[in-house]
Amino acid sequence: MTTEALGAQAGAVSGDARLLEVEDLHVEFHTHDGIAKAINGVDLHLDEGETLALLGESGSGKSVTAQAIMGILDMPPAKVPKGQIRYRGKDLLTMPVEQRRQVRGPEISIIFQDALSSLNPVFPVGWQIAEMFRVHRGMNRRDALDAAVGLMQRVQIPAARERVRAFPHQFSGGMRQRIMIAMAIALDPAVLIADEPTTALDVTVQAQIMSLLKELQEERGMGLLLITHDLGVVADVADRIAVMYAGQLVETADVHELYRAPAHPYTKGLIASIPRMDMKGKELYAIKGLPPSLLRLPHGCPFHPRCAWAQDVCRSDHPDLREIVPGRRSRCHFAEEVIDD
Amino acid sequence: MTSNVSETAHALEAGPEGGDTDAVRTLKGDAWRELRRRPLFWLSAVIIAVLVVMAVFPGLFTNTDPREAFLGRTRESPNSDAWFGRDVQGYDLYARVIYGARASILVGVLASVGTALVGSLLGLVAGYTGGWIDALLSRIAEVFFAIPLLLGAIIALTVMRERVSGYFMIVGMVVAILVVFGWPSIFRLMRASVLQVKPNDYVQAARALGASPLRITMNHILPNALGPVIVVSTINLGVFIAVEAALSFLGIGLQPPTVSWGVMISDARTAIRSSPHVLLFPAGMLSVAVLGFIMLGDSVRDAFDPKSR
Amino acid sequence: MGKYTIRRLLQMIPVIIGATFLLYAMVFAMPGDPTAGMCGQRDCSPVFKAAFNERYNLNDPLPVQYAKYLAGAVQGDLGETRSGVQVIDELGERYGTTLKLGVIALVFEALIGIGAGVLAGLRKGGFMDSLVLVSTLVVISVPIFVIGYVAQIYLGVRLGWFPVTVSFDAGWGELILPGMVLASTSVAYLARLMRSNMAENLRSDYVRTARAKGLSSGRVVGVHTLRNSMIPVVTFLGYDFGALLGGAIITEGIFNIRGVGGYIFDGIHEQDNMAVVGAVTVLVVIYLLANLVVDLLYGVLDPRISHD
Repeated sequence: MTTEALGAQAGAVSGDARLLEVEDLHVEFHTHDGIAKAINGVDLHLDEGETLALLGESGSGKSVTAQAIMGILDMPPAKVPKGQIRYRGKDLLTMPVEQRRQVRGPEISIIFQDALSSLNPVFPVGWQIAEMFRVHRGMNRRDALDAAVGLMQRVQIPAARERVRAFPHQFSGGMRQRIMIAMAIALDPAVLIADEPTTALDVTVQAQIMSLLKELQEERGMGLLLITHDLGVVADVADRIAVMYAGQLVETADVHELYRAPAHPYTKGLIASIPRMDMKGKELYAIKGLPPSLLRLPHGCPFHPRCAWAQDVCRSDHPDLREIVPGRRSRCHFAEEVIDD
Repeated sequence: MTSNVSETAHALEAGPEGGDTDAVRTLKGDAWRELRRRPLFWLSAVIIAVLVVMAVFPGLFTNTDPREAFLGRTRESPNSDAWFGRDVQGYDLYARVIYGARASILVGVLASVGTALVGSLLGLVAGYTGGWIDALLSRIAEVFFAIPLLLGAIIALTVMRERVSGYFMIVGMVVAILVVFGWPSIFRLMRASVLQVKPNDYVQAARALGASPLRITMNHILPNALGPVIVVSTINLGVFIAVEAALSFLGIGLQPPTVSWGVMISDARTAIRSSPHVLLFPAGMLSVAVLGFIMLGDSVRDAFDPKSR
Repeated sequence: MGKYTIRRLLQMIPVIIGATFLLYAMVFAMPGDPTAGMCGQRDCSPVFKAAFNERYNLNDPLPVQYAKYLAGAVQGDLGETRSGVQVIDELGERYGTTLKLGVIALVFEALIGIGAGVLAGLRKGGFMDSLVLVSTLVVISVPIFVIGYVAQIYLGVRLGWFPVTVSFDAGWGELILPGMVLASTSVAYLARLMRSNMAENLRSDYVRTARAKGLSSGRVVGVHTLRNSMIPVVTFLGYDFGALLGGAIITEGIFNIRGVGGYIFDGIHEQDNMAVVGAVTVLVVIYLLANLVVDLLYGVLDPRISHD
């Protein structure tokens, strides 16, 4: 089914369906030691041309969210007991496998953190990019390879025509990431998910890759879901930020608002942890404690053991994600106090 | 590793909240726990324990003299008097199988320990020293490694068998041959482990602090390198028992009147069509022994390998 | 690619020389009388010993001995059997049969070993997986000569599915059962290797990417995973070839096959040392050459090695 047909069908269902909408998503992992609740009720939405940053530490569930949207979680041990993931109005989770496969790749694609291990080491890079065209568009080998060269040039890989037959290990880290990007945008997807795209790269290369992503997004009107733990990367690129902790959203806001006045203690802590030039000579701040075990989430607010504002109510009542100011939501009993602090 | 699983695993470990049941989790402690959980481990441990007892105290299992032949009752089927029946020369098969354990297991154990010692020592030296010593040892190992075990043993034993006699000499010769062709694999393993551990910071730190090479080896390198060596040596035990049997079967390993399973199988060749039990009992015993050691080695390896959980 | 090939070739030459020298030393440089056992129960006469020493250059220093031996061997002089026949001639008569046996064994290895391994690896923990694990464990533990006899008795004699002995000039059909027996242990190891490779590769990041690209399961497994899983298999096949050669001696002995293995088997029993030594040396050299081929093949399959 082509993009247009799928879009038309979706349009027929609900004319103003958002590009991507995640509703009350729950994901569990069934392990030897128990059930790990990786995602506990997450709501997200993404529109065309918009960049949403999903921020969180390791184990917060952000990568699992991305993989759930893509549909590449191993279904045991993972399980989705509740929730919907709607692409242009159609729920991906209940879609038949074949249809899902045609959305994954051509419509929604993803780039991963470690390009070296994420690319197949035994096939040339051009072959891997061209595979998208061969498999999904039925192109022949030569045309597909030509298209691959074009993409490699677009992502600024020098001497693309010669290097199209080279293997992943023969490229530098930054170049490999560009190859991943080329592969991901090959079929003009409407949604691009970038899972920690720059974490493994040098700072200068990071900047190049982020600006490339931004360029491509503007050029193609893609919705970009940027997943990261790095607040520095987010500021330039994102329109909105959603902060995740222990499998839940704890704050969502416009990017400038969030930096100016965070509404959740965790976000506040993250921002305070960024080393700054004007703090020279002073001790670095770190949020004390560790994230909770997903097997045994604490009662009440999941962040309360580490929170400077914690009161009794925090230990007993699990706060809802509520709108404290139009356009801003926070999962904290004392969000208003935190904002003003 | 796919990130969702590893991320989750990380999240499982972290976190004081909700209780941390295991205070200290060491790799060895983890491995032992994994090992205890596996039924195959217990099964193989039982098999090996029984075999070892059989080898050391055969009298516990049978009162019959394995060298007592009843020429009038050759090839007898299993009966109440001789539980496994009798072989071609009228010996009690059950008794012979029990007594045969000693030779087979002795050869296996000695060969396995021998290859482990020689291979580990040379591998340690090569890996730690580096330079021309390493190059020389590695080339030598390569040459020995290039000759397949069975083929090398056949040549060596064929040539030597006329020149050597006596129980201990023959056993020693077989063990020596197995060690000569078996040490390179352990050598490589140990050398690779040493090379992996040596550049680590904690080893450099120890050297900077003035620790002697011996101390560094014992405290830092050996514990990490020992794991794979133990696994492979255990599996090798099974392999060596099987190879000894094959050599005996060909007629160049242990010889009569030594009782070993391989010798028994070799003797049974003429009787297989009419009385297969003469072959099957020692063969079965042999298979069980090899199985036991391989299962043990497999279980230990799986327990140490975090990926296979 | 060429650089890699040349490097491997250069590395192989000293190994071949070293290995043949080692074998030679084992045969001719060991303590004791080299003519022991050649003249029946008694020691050989001094005349015999002198002639023997002359024939095989045993009076020269060891390196010279070896060099002369090597020179002779390359030209086909592998010594004579007890009855004075050239070993090389006897081998020449027999290698064809062993070759056929080997081909049958390799085909079985490839089909069953790889097939079962892939199926087991695809569903780790499933029924097929457990079946493969258990059956391979059993096959590995039971020695090849036992498998050979059992197969001969039950499949040959009792059930009559296969011919029991093999005729003088064996045809392909007669060699099927011995071929399966020869392949048995290797099939088991190969299946286990494939299984663990497949299982490991299916969890890798690049397979995750392949799925994320919307490729079908068939393609993800059949193209992306399989190609990577085959690389260690090639190395294994090279190493296993040695076991196959040893196994051929036993298998041909059991089934009375008139091949190189059977020749060695008989030679051992008749205590014809020169025959055994000559034939086994040839096998070792073949094994080394096969490993060289495998090494080169490995370079072709794994671009990380050849495209440096």
